[in-house]
Amino acid sequence: MILGIGMSDPFLVGVLTLGLLLLLIFLGVRVVFAAAIVGLLGLVELRGWGPAAGIIGTVPHSKSSAYALSVLPMFIFIGFLAFHAGMTQQLFDAARKWLGWLPGGLAVATVFATAGFAAVSGASTATAAVFSRVAIPEMLKHGYDRRMAAGVVASAGTLATLIPPSAILVIYAIIVEQSVGKLLLAGFLPGIVSALVYAGIIVFWAILKPGSAPSVSGFSWGERVRTLPGISPILLVVIIIMTSIYSGWATPTEAGALGAGVVFVLALVRGTPLSAIKNSLMESAKLTVMIFSLIWGVLIFVRFLGFSGIPGVFTEWIVGLDMHPMAIMICILLAYAVLGMFMDAIGMLLLTLPVVYPAVIALGFDPIWFGIIVVKMAEICLITPPIGLNCFVVNGVRPDIPLGQVFRGVALFFVADVITIAVLLMFPEVVTWLPNFDFAAWWAGLGS
Amino acid sequence: MAHDSAAAGGALGRANKALIPIEDTANLLAAFAIMALMILGVLQIVLRSVFNTPITGYIDLVELSMASMAFLGAAYCQRLGSHIRMELLVGRLKGRALWFAEAFGTLAGLFIIGVLIYYSWGHFLRSYTLGDTTIDAEYPVWPSKLLVPIAFSIWFARLALQFIGSVRLFLNPSLEPVAVVVAKDVAEQAQDEIHEVMGDEIDPPQNGGRS
Repeated sequence: MILGIGMSDPFLVGVLTLGLLLLLIFLGVRVVFAAAIVGLLGLVELRGWGPAAGIIGTVPHSKSSAYALSVLPMFIFIGFLAFHAGMTQQLFDAARKWLGWLPGGLAVATVFATAGFAAVSGASTATAAVFSRVAIPEMLKHGYDRRMAAGVVASAGTLATLIPPSAILVIYAIIVEQSVGKLLLAGFLPGIVSALVYAGIIVFWAILKPGSAPSVSGFSWGERVRTLPGISPILLVVIIIMTSIYSGWATPTEAGALGAGVVFVLALVRGTPLSAIKNSLMESAKLTVMIFSLIWGVLIFVRFLGFSGIPGVFTEWIVGLDMHPMAIMICILLAYAVLGMFMDAIGMLLLTLPVVYPAVIALGFDPIWFGIIVVKMAEICLITPPIGLNCFVVNGVRPDIPLGQVFRGVALFFVADVITIAVLLMFPEVVTWLPNFDFAAWWAGLGS
Repeated sequence: MAHDSAAAGGALGRANKALIPIEDTANLLAAFAIMALMILGVLQIVLRSVFNTPITGYIDLVELSMASMAFLGAAYCQRLGSHIRMELLVGRLKGRALWFAEAFGTLAGLFIIGVLIYYSWGHFLRSYTLGDTTIDAEYPVWPSKLLVPIAFSIWFARLALQFIGSVRLFLNPSLEPVAVVVAKDVAEQAQDEIHEVMGDEIDPPQNGGRS
């Protein structure tokens, strides 16, 4: 015991340690250290040094070697390799020929090409970086408004986290102990809905201001069809990941490994130098260890939280509020929007979910649905000031487009995201239908 | 850095140079483990679906290999400043205040990683003396558990260098920074992200990308 409160008032210990956690994080202590230290100190206060340190000494290894987590390095590796597999140019070319005739056609094409790339990449910033180089020059050449060109790339990059493979959805699933497969499936339709809402708002805007986002037409059907072989590897990866998870033919890790294998072979075929492959592997290893450290650090903290009873008290308080559950949900989402302005999405979710999640479930919301909506919320923070990392990435690749213009460009898509969130709040089926769809029964029904 | 070699910077610089290859090698091993996991997964699917002979103890193998991915790169990640933190305050500090915050942050890391080295060693030792094995294929578990104190020891060494580096700059902020993470603003973080995906291929946007 440090303070001498011990087991007489675990809740008080919980509140004090939560305060310490916030202080350490504010002071810039790395989240893994802050979470683990606070977890250790809290357990020491409740249980004494020996048992507490003994417990936490086992956490890193036992929590990191769970099979379900092994899908993370696979998804991360796919993401880093995807750029080298060189499918971005083909995707954009195909989307341009199929969709260019729409008002704002090139911007719409960018949205769908990005959505396609999202199927092999789970990282928003990476996707925004890659498409800044492919799509922006083309849009500018056709006289697109610079704000529109930059805004669509920064915003469409966020689709990567909803459309599988998505590392952040896997992390959510692990922390709240839900099925990884279900969460990955659940992200698919909301990802498509997001893309459609983006496309809709572009078309609407282009009709209002035709000069700033002209359409490009004149492609024959033959030209269109000829773009398909180039994008078929993407389709293959999508089919591998979606069908194997759906049918139970392979675990998410195996599906991720196969997807990574396909992208890896493609990258080799495209003549990617070995140094670039090694670089992708080193970056994958670095990101993997960062995420795993966060996971065990936060789980040490969670060990202590369980003893303190804080999540239970928070849940009781939330459920006892004299408010409609949906109003409470909107407040929670707004809180995430504010928090996301100052913190990385993964760190934010890991730190808050152990307390927030039980309350959300007690309010009667669906665990899978909440995962999708909270990740969508975290993604919006990638395009809003002050951090808005995606906007900085676009500006980094295209220094000729000032940051202010990028942020002004994403304003339109911020509106689109608010519409998407509203759609997901009003029609939760968009999220829950696919993961709960009984494929086997449907298949059997077809046969009879 | 010629003016710097006289005092702490000299020894610190040498220690830093000695540690870098160890960190790089450890991270490279983690990278190989990721590659191996990919190959193992593909093999498992092919052997199971085509030849109907799944790899014995596949899940055990995956779980044992995960320690290398989860821990070996920790020091490398620390050196590059990639373990996340909230930059709201640290990003705005300069000079002595910044180096004080950095020293505090690394000291916190030294404390918890030190505790974890000691107690994860105990966790390994129990497994070793009891002859703990995995459930399915009965592989020994101790090598995987041993990776934790090893990787954390490298991490501890990196944190120690960063702590000394921060204290040194706190005492004299005008010295050349050695063995510390230089705090980055969002624009610099964005450049890092771009570099991570595209490697050295990034070129001026005017020529429309690679041919």
